[in-house]
Amino acid sequence: MTLLEQTKVPRSATRRRRSPLGSRWTPYLFLAPAALFVLVFQAIPLAQEIFLSFTRTTLLNPTRGRWVGLDNFVRIFGDEDFHRTLVTTFVYVIVCVVGAVGSGLAVALLLNRGFRGRGIARALITVPWAAPGIAVALIATWMLNAQYGIVNRFLNAVGLGVPGGAILDSPKYALPAVLATTIWQLFPFTSVVLLSALQSVPHDLTEAATMDGAGRWATFRVVTWQVIKPVVGLLALLMTIWSLRRFELIWLMTKGGPVGRTETLVIDLYAQAFESKELGSAAAIGMVGVVISLIVITGSRLVARAVAKENP
Amino acid sequence: MKKHRVRRSIVATSSIIGVAALLLGGCTADGGADGGVAKITFAASTFGDPGRGPLLTQWLEEFNKSQSEVQVTAAAVPYPTFGQTVLTQMGSGQGPDLIRFDMPEFEAASDAGLVAPLDDLVDVGKYTLLKQPDQFLVHDGVRHGIIFEASNYAMFYNADLIPKPPTTYEEFTATAKSLTKGDVFGLAFRQTEAEEAGVWQDIFNYVYGFGGKWSDGKNLTINSPDNLKGLQAYKDLYDAKVIPRGADAATFRRMFAEGKVGMELNNGGYVTATRGQNPNLKFSVAPIPFPVRSQGAILAPIVVNEASEEKEAAATFIRWALEPANQVKLQEILGASSVATVTERSAASLTKTPFLPVFDGLTESSLPQIVLGFEAKTPDIRKVVVQNVIAALQGQVDLKTALDRAQQQATELVK
Repeated sequence: MTLLEQTKVPRSATRRRRSPLGSRWTPYLFLAPAALFVLVFQAIPLAQEIFLSFTRTTLLNPTRGRWVGLDNFVRIFGDEDFHRTLVTTFVYVIVCVVGAVGSGLAVALLLNRGFRGRGIARALITVPWAAPGIAVALIATWMLNAQYGIVNRFLNAVGLGVPGGAILDSPKYALPAVLATTIWQLFPFTSVVLLSALQSVPHDLTEAATMDGAGRWATFRVVTWQVIKPVVGLLALLMTIWSLRRFELIWLMTKGGPVGRTETLVIDLYAQAFESKELGSAAAIGMVGVVISLIVITGSRLVARAVAKENP
Repeated sequence: MKKHRVRRSIVATSSIIGVAALLLGGCTADGGADGGVAKITFAASTFGDPGRGPLLTQWLEEFNKSQSEVQVTAAAVPYPTFGQTVLTQMGSGQGPDLIRFDMPEFEAASDAGLVAPLDDLVDVGKYTLLKQPDQFLVHDGVRHGIIFEASNYAMFYNADLIPKPPTTYEEFTATAKSLTKGDVFGLAFRQTEAEEAGVWQDIFNYVYGFGGKWSDGKNLTINSPDNLKGLQAYKDLYDAKVIPRGADAATFRRMFAEGKVGMELNNGGYVTATRGQNPNLKFSVAPIPFPVRSQGAILAPIVVNEASEEKEAAATFIRWALEPANQVKLQEILGASSVATVTERSAASLTKTPFLPVFDGLTESSLPQIVLGFEAKTPDIRKVVVQNVIAALQGQVDLKTALDRAQQQATELVK
């Protein structure tokens, strides 16, 4: 008799011990609240948005929309400003992901080393992440204020001042300023996550690599990177989706200006819906955002699967 | 046993549905009758003003004390999001019963049929209304609002820095340039996209003050030579660095109160606020010294929400507000603004604020900051114009090209 056969329990015994919650409907029962939530707050609004995107509907008369087919999509894709919005969105997302993950990794590597006051440094580093987005935006706006801002004063003192002093009103510097603020808010999260990943790197492997004569860079590339790679991938995916959706920080700092230089998809969507009061166009912009998000998620899954196949 | 369980779950489910229905029911009605008393809400951004807000709320309390069947509650919605918030509520058939709108939002709401006609609710023949501002509240013979506040734009100047106010545009620019030194600026105006509505209010004075206009009533005239002249003057002052660039209105108004800004074009509504920031500031007001005596005015009508179930109660409040004694009180609260009817300034207020007649004298030449003939589209046209003017300020494009582009884009919008 094999071990498996020995551990087999008679069917009748299983039936007797089954709890009252053990029916085949139990999983559905537990899933129902979440499914209901998704249905009410995600699926129905999404279906409504898809419908709206094919109509000419204004915020002032939301129930009196007129079916216009693909007109909204034709209009937004024919608009040069929307092309600029798409480019700005991609630039914003890419720089945010690279900046937040890159700086997070650098900080995590530093915090992973032993030094006096490491505990305090680890605690302090989380402050920007813990601060609400609105507070971060307001602080940044004050720091960048043309008249009283500390950044402006410092830049002027070292002879690098922006002409006129208004960084957030400069088409050249507004986006870099918004990006710097975003990365400043994001990097604590990436650094904390990467720090925990770094702590899971087996010491014996790094020691073995060092004993084999590998330098710091080679040890990082061959050992450390291989362990933290999946975490970096996950962070990159999260950062991409969050950056595509980020609204309050950009809106509070620049409202998408000057001259549309910081206008991302969500800012454009909000402006269309609540300033121009065109719900149809706003829904069409939202659909573009949904498609981009789906492409990102599908792409990342395909990449993850390919990597898993390469390194089973 | 099983029966009990079923009964229990039916009772529980019904209770949950009942509570939910009660909650939802409570959410959908803003006003309503309660024991024979009609309760209405009045939304205005001015209820949140540090200086005037508490006084306006007291004024509402006087109404409540005088009535046994109608009670009004103030709803303070912040100015930057007022239009969006209230229009979104009204678009979905909700919202306050009474609203104090600014003109662009008033036009959009009345065009969309969200504002109740007042002809059958208020007999305006009984009152001596100020004709110039009042004419803009009647559309095709239908009255949609009554002036709550009319505030003309004039030139505020620091009397310590400028003993004699400029009377020509040349003097105006020369004064601005001579005062600008260190952290003191000769002038201040709004010039950032984040303050789109404010930039529109400011450039309106330059366009109309140089003989321009946004439309001839039938076609847009955004890129007309006179508009270009006015906006070039605005850009020249920006380029001359006589203004604190990048400073928003809150910042430069504080600077004005601190004596760090010499002049600003502002409306009468800010007299009280300026005094509130620095009671010791010696400032005065003069007409804007541009070639043509024509400037903007903040017209703020009070309207009744078409979706209100208490229209008669709302009209009761408007009728009370129009009574001569209550108009005088309202004008005292609003400071340098005018109200719906012709009222006399008290001797005490003239002593306290001797320049009040300057504002009153500008009423006939003041215009609401809307695009005549395209009133309901004003917010959209405003966005296009402001974006293009700022592109020119930032050196992205020359002003003529910017205005041509704005003309083309806005014409597309109003087609």
